[in-house]
Amino acid sequence: MKDLARLRTAIKESVELALNQQIQMEMVSSSKYLAMAGWCDRNGLDHCAGFFYKQSDEERHHAMKLFHYLCDQGATAYSPEVPAVAQEFDSLRSVFEGALEQEVSVTDSINRIIGICRRESDYATEELLKWYVKEQMEEEYIARRCLELIDQIPSDQIYYLDKKLASVTYDGNVFDE
Amino acid sequence: MTSNVPTTYQEVFRTDKGVVYQCDASYRLILEFWNTRTQFSARDFAHFRRMVETIDIRQMALSTAASDDVEILTLPRSERCYVLTLCEIVHLRELLNGAKLMLDLNSMLRECGCTLPQPA
Repeated sequence: MKDLARLRTAIKESVELALNQQIQMEMVSSSKYLAMAGWCDRNGLDHCAGFFYKQSDEERHHAMKLFHYLCDQGATAYSPEVPAVAQEFDSLRSVFEGALEQEVSVTDSINRIIGICRRESDYATEELLKWYVKEQMEEEYIARRCLELIDQIPSDQIYYLDKKLASVTYDGNVFDE
Repeated sequence: MTSNVPTTYQEVFRTDKGVVYQCDASYRLILEFWNTRTQFSARDFAHFRRMVETIDIRQMALSTAASDDVEILTLPRSERCYVLTLCEIVHLRELLNGAKLMLDLNSMLRECGCTLPQPA
């Protein structure tokens, strides 16, 4: 008997389901970052607003990368439902705390999917997800560093803080050496 | 319905309420249930199985609203639809999940270089 599912796609149903859930998670992240960018913009934090606009675009790019991968492999990618996200925040600190929490949950999710790939012997998807592992290491570093800077820079130096937070990058990726 | 089964159909899984066949000639899976026979591509079959799997049967069982007595399922790429009661959904789930198990087993055997014996 022919294996019709395998002839259609190399991706197992469990991996397809997990990747579709990841697409939704990335799109929700994108929406959350857009709300954060809007809050920063409203409160005169132009540099942080720019930082979150860029983050929002990046998260959408992450989702689209998975979406195209599923389509190219013959699997089904679903356009995700994005629920309403919080639009108001107590402070700049709570914005960055929210960003870090979001990044941690994305990292956990990526690690869980790699576990599924290994169980299903899906090495191609695992290879793709290695890019996400590196990306998440970078994202978590940036969010943590921003929270450190909020603690270190006096709150009355808000213009300097705004500029400094938006300039945080991670250039010490050990995987690139 | 099961009396005039084409020779290219191979039985994948059967319950007393229905049967799933595979046709290697047309690359289709055939669901025989509720006195109907429906052909699916492998993709549509997986999609339909998920549709059946995600029906909230708890809500159907607990609700007193008439609208929760039945669930209407539109078949992928077809004008036909199923109007199913709670019991029929349970029977359909049993059939589709059993078929999935056998299809997964076929995949595993193929990955090991084995094949299921061909029918006589």
